[in-house]
Amino acid sequence: MITVVSGLPRSGTSLMMQMLQAGGMSILADAGRPADEHNPKGYLEYQKVRSLKSDNSWIADAEGRVVKVVSQLLYHLPPAHEYRIIFMQRDLDEVLRSQEKMLAGLQQPSGPERDMMRQHFTRHLAALDEWLGTQAHFSRFECNFSDLITKPAAAVQEIVRFLGIPLNVQSMAEAVDPILYRQRNN
Amino acid sequence: MFEPRIKVGKELYATLKTAATVAGYSSVDEFILHILEKAAAEISQAQSEEEVRRRLQGLGYIE
Repeated sequence: MITVVSGLPRSGTSLMMQMLQAGGMSILADAGRPADEHNPKGYLEYQKVRSLKSDNSWIADAEGRVVKVVSQLLYHLPPAHEYRIIFMQRDLDEVLRSQEKMLAGLQQPSGPERDMMRQHFTRHLAALDEWLGTQAHFSRFECNFSDLITKPAAAVQEIVRFLGIPLNVQSMAEAVDPILYRQRNN
Repeated sequence: MFEPRIKVGKELYATLKTAATVAGYSSVDEFILHILEKAAAEISQAQSEEEVRRRLQGLGYIE
């Protein structure tokens, strides 16, 4: 069984990785993307995931561990393994604002207007949701980012129940830092 | 109210009529509307996935 933290970029996937690490899970990550102003506590990413579409030979290394896989790459996880997916859900406007800020920092083009990008992400998430529902090798838990920030103890209980493994729930809840909840809508 | 209309050649119309009957549609119009909606949705979906891919690439999440 492989645990996957997924969602759109800037939806709270790094926070979830930090929480699972604090709770005692083994993390598959490297130092490819160090912590920065957008993510002061680190991204906890594994660089080989970026080329998952063309090379999944490393996936066995994730057995019994947790790895971050961005939403669009879930299609490329080989079905020979079983996956528990914690899928982060965050208000799309918050996600878009945060992404735009990060793109500017990386000196990357911002791409389509925000309204258009919102439509693209909405279509992408709807198609992914439908596809995931047809895949027997995935089980999924939808984690709301706002709830996670405002009520971490309750959210942690649900996550641990989904994963079905003993974790340090106190350390997981303590890993949540509300100060880092930026780009919020209100 | 104005409704756009599309001209279809006689030969193509005959082909579409046969296909609509075979596929169990109640009319040629219903059949054509369905396949046009489906084609448009597929193109929109592909465009969205491509824009998402570009955004994820820009953010460093995919190669």
